[in-house]
Amino acid sequence: MKSPSATLSLPGFRLRLRPIRMAEVGFLVFLAVVMGLPLLFLLSGSFNLAAPGKPAIYGFGNWQRAFTDPGTLSALWMSFLLSVVRLIPAMILSVMFAWLIARTDMPGGRFIESACWIAYFVPDFPLVLAWILLLDPNFGFLNSLAKSLPFVEGPIFNPYGFWGIVWVHTSTGGIWFKVMLLVPVFRRLGATLEEAARVAGANTTAMLWRITLPVLSPMILAVAVLSFIRGLQSFNTELLLGTPVGIYVYSTKIYDYLQREPRAYGEATALGSVFLFVLAILLFFYWRYLSGNKKFTVVTGQGYSTLRVKLGRWRYAALAGCLIYVAVMMLLPLSFLVIGSFMRRYGFFNIASPFTLNHWYNLLADPIFLVALKNSLIIASVTAIGGILLYSALAYLLVSRRTITAPVLESLCWVPHVLPGILLSLGVLWLFLATPLRFFLYGTVWGIAFALILADSPVTTQAFKAGLLQLGADLEESARVSGASWAYAYRRILLPLLAPIAAAVGLMNFGSALTSISTPVLLYSHQSRPLAILLLEYSFTGELERAAALGLLITLIIGSMMLIARRLGLQLSRSD
Amino acid sequence: MKRVIMFMYMLVGFSTAWAQTKASDKEWAAVVDAAKKEGKVVVAGSPDPVMRNDVIPKFTARFGIPVEFVAGRSSQIVSRVQTERGSGIYSIDVYLAGPDTSANELYNDKLIDPLKPLIVMPEVADGSKWKTGKVWFADPQEQFIARAFSGVATWLFINTDHVKPEEVRHVKDLLNPKWRGKISTEDPTTTGAGANMAARLYYQVGEEYVKNLYVDQKTVRTRERRQMTDWLARGTQPICLNCREDDVRPLVKEGFKILEIFEISGVPSTINGSPWMLSLANKAPHPKAAQVFANWILSKEGLETYARGYGSATLRTDIDESFLNPGNVPKKGVKYFDDTEWKWIVTGRHENREKVWQVLKSK
Repeated sequence: MKSPSATLSLPGFRLRLRPIRMAEVGFLVFLAVVMGLPLLFLLSGSFNLAAPGKPAIYGFGNWQRAFTDPGTLSALWMSFLLSVVRLIPAMILSVMFAWLIARTDMPGGRFIESACWIAYFVPDFPLVLAWILLLDPNFGFLNSLAKSLPFVEGPIFNPYGFWGIVWVHTSTGGIWFKVMLLVPVFRRLGATLEEAARVAGANTTAMLWRITLPVLSPMILAVAVLSFIRGLQSFNTELLLGTPVGIYVYSTKIYDYLQREPRAYGEATALGSVFLFVLAILLFFYWRYLSGNKKFTVVTGQGYSTLRVKLGRWRYAALAGCLIYVAVMMLLPLSFLVIGSFMRRYGFFNIASPFTLNHWYNLLADPIFLVALKNSLIIASVTAIGGILLYSALAYLLVSRRTITAPVLESLCWVPHVLPGILLSLGVLWLFLATPLRFFLYGTVWGIAFALILADSPVTTQAFKAGLLQLGADLEESARVSGASWAYAYRRILLPLLAPIAAAVGLMNFGSALTSISTPVLLYSHQSRPLAILLLEYSFTGELERAAALGLLITLIIGSMMLIARRLGLQLSRSD
Repeated sequence: MKRVIMFMYMLVGFSTAWAQTKASDKEWAAVVDAAKKEGKVVVAGSPDPVMRNDVIPKFTARFGIPVEFVAGRSSQIVSRVQTERGSGIYSIDVYLAGPDTSANELYNDKLIDPLKPLIVMPEVADGSKWKTGKVWFADPQEQFIARAFSGVATWLFINTDHVKPEEVRHVKDLLNPKWRGKISTEDPTTTGAGANMAARLYYQVGEEYVKNLYVDQKTVRTRERRQMTDWLARGTQPICLNCREDDVRPLVKEGFKILEIFEISGVPSTINGSPWMLSLANKAPHPKAAQVFANWILSKEGLETYARGYGSATLRTDIDESFLNPGNVPKKGVKYFDDTEWKWIVTGRHENREKVWQVLKSK
């Protein structure tokens, strides 16, 4: 098959520029500038020992100071431990959830999937406070209930400490994010392979272990890598539940350097480089795994069946398990959050007339609110659409096996995931101000959307990549043999097959854009302030109840978008 | 004859004062006109409901000049300003920042211009309107950073359902084993109010006391001010070292038995310039509007609006202070430790904070 090509003629030299090569070079330049430059700015800045605004003096002082701090290594160990301990059960549970939702005849799968989506976008800060209200050894609601039992003496729950942090994480981010990413690829898995396994005598467990998981391993591994690094960077829950009992995590150390006056970005970047190192190791093994002689194709031009695994009488037991998990981990704290937004003081039921509509009224009457809402909707829409267009094309390039710079492109893609949000924001700020981008992006909603698109690159690219790995090359080839152009084949064959993944990551990026604080914090202006910054301002000034109301409103917006997407036929993951 | 001479003196004095007032009125009016032409003023400060809900609407109503309020943590705002300036962008006109940021960053990094020569609003320039006889500039040149507030800082808050006031009369009462695990503090291992208080205690009472209080007494640490206030209200940690007045006062209104303690034996009481100190950005994009805002925020109307919302004692003589907690108003003849004093901010606090961190990290 021959690709269309353009010819560049120079005296004595003819260079054939194939579209795929042009796209590769284009992406390489783009990613090098937008991902590589901020990283370079940050790394070179970390060796600058001079005070801000003074002529640079280079040395290793910042790195030495950061890594000789007595608490650094213990904090790193604690982050590692928390991340691993959380990751293993969360991965098992999320794979089970995704399989049950997408590959079995369990009833209510769509409801469970929607619940995961909504749970992911509930703001975590008030949700952690809700867990404190439930589990605190002195006043926790569940401890009070337990005390009424005859055989219970003291409090049986305590959120403050290692296991409390693990538990609350399982509720606030735990499996929701993973289920959202895994369900579309699980749905894509045709029943043909499973049917073949059954014919060969495999039972459900063997089929899941020997067929389903290996075939879907690129996405499962990508989600595990994403979650592990995200776990290392985790911060808010540890701050509320760890600090009172002396548990400090690695991100707390980075945060401390960022809050110092004068600021210590050099030390913060030095510590942040550990994430780069961890990522490099994980990616090395991930690439080795993918580049082996394995095939992950599940959708080919030779027939495709979407029959689901029949669970028999276990289907209702599976549903009950999922419902109990969702009820305990999501509905219980969420109901406290909803009630909290209507309370004069969140969690204080013993004051006179504890309920009020004032926080909602004050939120909606805030003159900044409508402007921020409009800004947020523009930013989120641009981020969602921009991310889909950009990273679907990039993922296509990466899986086409026709690029010579794939490892470089992919590494650049991962950069935003290893930089703490505020450092990414600082890097993008430098990028804007050091280039002509400042004239049309700095301080605008477009600039914030641009930064958020960059921040979304790892998740979005990996999701598309995993989806594309499932598609057989014969699908596109047969279209091309039949005379279809590349663009036609892409539009009529690949795009419809990728639509569920595009809808899922688009909606995920839409939601992340509405809730992200650290990325826009250095980039917004008075005119482009988004809702998330307003949320930050409410939290900063102790207006927790108004922040809870705003957080719920953002969740409602995302829920509505999900329903609209379904109405428009953009099924998040259905392909049958 | 004497009477005639005296009358002549008085006449000359009055007419000079009248002429000066007229001149300064004229100068002020000219500044306001020029400010209106600039169209807006950009103020950077902490995200503050008083600022957004009360101060800005009042200023805009009075002068017709819209205020763009860039709200955020000091460290984030200064990062952004430094980076912008590196690229030749100057976006901020006025800073309302804490003493650390004002002294160690804005002043130290030469991001601000002298404010003193720009004080022209008659009621602000008039020394009789200030408890200090003039506008108090905190920097060594007495030009750049204006201090408008000076209130007695709360030493601690107690929940009287659990702690009797007489049980915490002396600083060493906090070391009573009865209070082990019952005292909350903002985390002293990072910059902020918790570390500032620990630095002060290290300086005033000594290393052993800091070790006893923060380590042996198992003082409960948090970085979330709401968490501390809730602990205080519920009585789980009924003694709070770093709760904020503006967080606790609504609880008192709700009927919680919380007492704000300003004085305690064994250490001098502290005054500070909270909530902010005022400075003007150099190369400001709207210099005249910045000048009008700076003058107005130091006026009776500006400062009273802020003081009523925030509940802090100002340095003006013409503001009724009956709305304040009497303990918040400095008493004449009492020697206070000034937590916003320049040398302390620039060197003393920093040095003592480092020593505190050494003590806490070694345990």
